[in-house]
Amino acid sequence: MTGGETRTDGGSVAEGEGRTVGGESPARRPGEGNRLGWLFEQRLAAVIAGSLALVVVAGLVQVSFGTYSMTVGGAWRAVFDPAILLDPRWFLNFLLGEELMRAATGFQGELPRLARETLVVWNIRLPRVLVGVVVGMNLAVSGAIFQAVTRNELASPFILGVSSGAGLMILLTLVVFGGLSTFLPIVAALGGSVAFLVVYAIAWKNGTSPVRLVLAGVIVGTVFNSLQTGLFFFADDIGVVQSAIQWTTGSLTGTDWEQVRMALPWTLVAVTLSLAGSRQLNLLLLGEQTAKSLGMSIERVRFALSGVAVLAAAASIAVAGIVSFVGLIVPHVVRNLVGSDYKRVIVGCLFVGPALMVGADVGARLGMSVLTGADAQVPVGIVTGLVGGPYFLYLMRRQQNMGDL
Amino acid sequence: MSIFGANATEPEESSGGNELDGADGPTAVDEPADPDGPGTGGDPSDLDAEELVLGYPTAPEPVIDGESIAAEPGAVTALVGPNGSGKSTLLKGLANQIAPEDGSVLLDGRDVHSMDTKSLAKKLGLLSQESTSPDSITVEDLVYHGRYPHRGFFERTTDEDARAVERAIDLAGCGHLRDREVGSLSGGQKQLAWIAMVLAQDTDVLLLDEPTTFLDLHHQMEVMEIIETLRSESEVTVVVVLHDIEQAARLADRVVALKDGEVRARGPAEEVVTEELLTDVFRVDADVVDTDRGPRVTPIRARHEE
Repeated sequence: MTGGETRTDGGSVAEGEGRTVGGESPARRPGEGNRLGWLFEQRLAAVIAGSLALVVVAGLVQVSFGTYSMTVGGAWRAVFDPAILLDPRWFLNFLLGEELMRAATGFQGELPRLARETLVVWNIRLPRVLVGVVVGMNLAVSGAIFQAVTRNELASPFILGVSSGAGLMILLTLVVFGGLSTFLPIVAALGGSVAFLVVYAIAWKNGTSPVRLVLAGVIVGTVFNSLQTGLFFFADDIGVVQSAIQWTTGSLTGTDWEQVRMALPWTLVAVTLSLAGSRQLNLLLLGEQTAKSLGMSIERVRFALSGVAVLAAAASIAVAGIVSFVGLIVPHVVRNLVGSDYKRVIVGCLFVGPALMVGADVGARLGMSVLTGADAQVPVGIVTGLVGGPYFLYLMRRQQNMGDL
Repeated sequence: MSIFGANATEPEESSGGNELDGADGPTAVDEPADPDGPGTGGDPSDLDAEELVLGYPTAPEPVIDGESIAAEPGAVTALVGPNGSGKSTLLKGLANQIAPEDGSVLLDGRDVHSMDTKSLAKKLGLLSQESTSPDSITVEDLVYHGRYPHRGFFERTTDEDARAVERAIDLAGCGHLRDREVGSLSGGQKQLAWIAMVLAQDTDVLLLDEPTTFLDLHHQMEVMEIIETLRSESEVTVVVVLHDIEQAARLADRVVALKDGEVRARGPAEEVVTEELLTDVFRVDADVVDTDRGPRVTPIRARHEE
């Protein structure tokens, strides 16, 4: 994402330098006063900075353009409108919802009126960017965890049946149980989690192994996908089909503060747990035998980490549907940039994921009107696939050794 | 305690390490050692397998069918035997990597199978035959993984971890590789790094599965010197699977010869490594000559009978 810094495998000279600069010398390491020293390692810092810049630029484009157009300067002013920034009630209103805000502050009256531009930016455009950030984080972290747990470079958040379970539930809800459609996000997330448990149950035979898990994921995925495709035939109007496609390819259209509120708590939990689990992930990379002989309860750790990854995936499904490719490609990009230490990989994912997601959403939201002049949006999942595929190809051609898992 | 109990800083100078007589130690099975936790007392740990039955779920017959074996406390025990004789399986059984179908493995009197995985890993380390790691991990980071069982879930590394890592790197003689990425090392250098990792685990018992196989002569000697240092300067109980019977004889206080999952001979090297044993267990005709560096084995021809 940040251009030419991609590292090659096997220790080139330039890389050796990178190591010494950022690397911890043994004497410093244990006693080092600051626990976060590794965060400032050059390459990781560059990745974080680059990704942040991308998110900011893409976010700025998102808030500036649209049906109600304003100048970039006007959009900036709206984003930093003191009427909102200096009024905690607005923040609480957005982050907790109006009722909780009133309960927390005891405020009963009407919130002050906002300028029209501020309203458009803060109520409509900014939350969409934030949902993109949250979804990108979740998918990237989830993919990174699954790639370590299954020791499979092709693993994505959806490898263990999560997407097919969620997809099936989406179709069932839309086509058969129309009454449940208000609960669609939760139903979808639940479907994904249940499918994951089914996969685990199928794979279990005196314990699991990465290969058994992946194969069980393929089995469950095949069956559920067939059922899901079959259900399309029972959809009686095009609206239902379009809505189903939007959910199964992933879309940020119409997302709002409500989606931010829905996903944020789970995201915080998942991110915290995955950072805490990074040492376990590192150990898993040394192979099952070594992990075991170092005293890891491997089945428990594997299940717990998978659970964290499913939680992250489910949170993103609930707000954006099944966005493909982000969770597959981002961990690879990050590993290529910062090396295989999972502490760094997870932190990198927290920034690169949002960059890809928010960037792709620019294309999804504005691309059609730029290309064809039509005022239409495409699901962001289509754009992530279109952007991610070629970039993945580029990485693959460039690297001798893709995954380094 | 354990590995670094004595000053084990200079592997090169370690005791010439050839006379086997000096090291017959406290003979075999003894001391039903105190069954409390790790770190108590300075006595070397003992590891006893009793009537052990080991197999794999996919195989109908167990590989090891009711063998008992005792690792001599504080000394080096070598397991030798032809391919498929069950050496590695036995070692995995001792390390609780395979659950026994019957029998038990006792570490200082406690059944390893009932021990918490982390407390077992604080007392018993295993170096597997093939180890994989991401290419871009540095040697030092790899060695730090050896401290895993000593750290709590959220704990960061302590000074003690750092000291253990330093000593391990020192003892394994891979200080010059510290900042290299594992992917850029040769096979022999990699093995030293992995040995350093398992040394950093700082266990009372160390199980090594063919640590010298596939290494060039230099690195074979490096690995043997590390084990010799452990033998002469620490109280670690070492069990090592070796392919090379001469190496085993030279290195080990006791040799256990396996064939088809059965112990065929056990005892001091000069008693076990004989022409008869080579015929019986390894199916070769060989000359065995006693030298002052232990028995010298010259294989002559393979036996083809039945």
